[in-house]
Amino acid sequence: MSETADVRIRGAGIGLRSQHHQEIIARQPAVPWLEVLSENYYAAGGTALANLEQIRNLYPITLHGVGMSLGSTDPLNFDYLARLKSLADRFEPEWLSDHLAWISVGGEYVHDLLPLPYTQEALDHVVARIDQVQDFLGRRILIENPSTYLSYRDAEMSEWEFVREVAESSDCDILFDVNNAYVNASNHGFAATNYLDALPAARVREIHLAGFAQYDNYLFDTHGERVHPPVWELYQLTIERIGPVPTLIEWDTDIPDLEVLVAEAEKAQTALEAHSCSA
Amino acid sequence: MQRLNQLQRRVREAIMAADADGTEVCAASETVNATHGLSSPEHLRIYRRAVTGTFTRALGQLYPVTMRLLGREFFDGMASRYMRITPSHSPDLAEYGSSFAEFIEGFEPAAGLPYLPDVARLEWAWHSAFSAADETALNIDGLGEVPESDRDRLVFALPASAALLASQYPVHRIWQVNQDEWTGPEEVDLDEGAARLIVWRRGYDMRIDPLQDNEWSLLSDLTGNVPMRVLSNKFPDMATLLPHCVEHGWIAGFQLAESTD
Repeated sequence: MSETADVRIRGAGIGLRSQHHQEIIARQPAVPWLEVLSENYYAAGGTALANLEQIRNLYPITLHGVGMSLGSTDPLNFDYLARLKSLADRFEPEWLSDHLAWISVGGEYVHDLLPLPYTQEALDHVVARIDQVQDFLGRRILIENPSTYLSYRDAEMSEWEFVREVAESSDCDILFDVNNAYVNASNHGFAATNYLDALPAARVREIHLAGFAQYDNYLFDTHGERVHPPVWELYQLTIERIGPVPTLIEWDTDIPDLEVLVAEAEKAQTALEAHSCSA
Repeated sequence: MQRLNQLQRRVREAIMAADADGTEVCAASETVNATHGLSSPEHLRIYRRAVTGTFTRALGQLYPVTMRLLGREFFDGMASRYMRITPSHSPDLAEYGSSFAEFIEGFEPAAGLPYLPDVARLEWAWHSAFSAADETALNIDGLGEVPESDRDRLVFALPASAALLASQYPVHRIWQVNQDEWTGPEEVDLDEGAARLIVWRRGYDMRIDPLQDNEWSLLSDLTGNVPMRVLSNKFPDMATLLPHCVEHGWIAGFQLAESTD
């Protein structure tokens, strides 16, 4: 854990959603930080940006995106990265994150986070890309383990080994999504605690929590409900292993009232504080 | 990287191909593990459904009146046809869907609602205005200080958010009665006549203003950077028409064109 006195992001925050802009500005709920979805603020102007300007003065923020397409075999999209950089220059997030996935190939975007095959070829490729991105942005990024619904036959390592190797080789940090680890463990038949054994604790700077949906033969990462009990259990194990890392409640479909998000964050906050006291 | 590139292309084709049981899905299935309860093609179809959902939801949010006029199910069906033949070229999903109106024009099952493409055009203009650049350098205030000798060289600009839209149908009325907050009568007489509109944003306030013929002609010319010298000959009522348009906010700025003399 890289805990220093000037770190502004601590405790359990919530994802900022446009439905809640006005209420957050008016009521200023007691959450320690907010995560902002980069793609929602690429407009040239308008209310969303104006609201964010106000909200940014009230809370420390992080930027979380889905657009880097880090795993893609296309050239990096420097137009996108330039927009991201100017967004970061304007709103000064504590850090920026994206996913260990690809969303485009042949210049066409599918707007869904597709998994990489866990091969040496893919590892070398994505490490080189993260290097380029970090050079361009002039800062270290966090990469998140995505939820996945398929695995490839030619995999040469496990996904937790892949995440660890990418982070170590590209010297980037990790956003560990506990829910995604749980969903993948269930979908692909492994123990989610493998992740806890593999992750380099010092690189894990943020944790994500969200709700999944149970479909016929698989779990789907909807971000559309409360965090499930087994995910809370895995979260507990996670902070015991890697420390009280800043934690975020994500909610993207069927977005509820702000209080529901705040209550979920309070639950995570309680777990973080209990850990801090017992440590 | 060649193997990875080939794999990504196969997976993308499996996800975007029109046929969920077609050769594209079969080809990509060879690279994907089967698991307890799910075959390889079924794993790919999870992504097909997710991606279809992402695109149709995005289009539904962008074109809510179009969706309301067609009903959710019909709209989703149409949107999923559109997304299969219209790739997205930007990581920003908000940039997707600009050609939806043209697609609807050729979409036979929706031909019974001939005004639909123009409704979609109106919604795209609204979407674009919503996120357009803020007017920070409103320079129209200095208009009175331009010396008489330079007036012929004046070129005017509409607000950055503005789009002009003409339709033979009363699309503004159709749009209005399909807003959630609308409480008036929901019938619109299609013979009510043509609509000429400017869709724009004043500050953060979204606006759709109907235009008179002369207002429309002037503003259309302005989008083509036609200089004052030409405009004053074309519009005999320029002395009142111009201040009128400025007052409404439809003209946001001006500059002086290079002298052509």
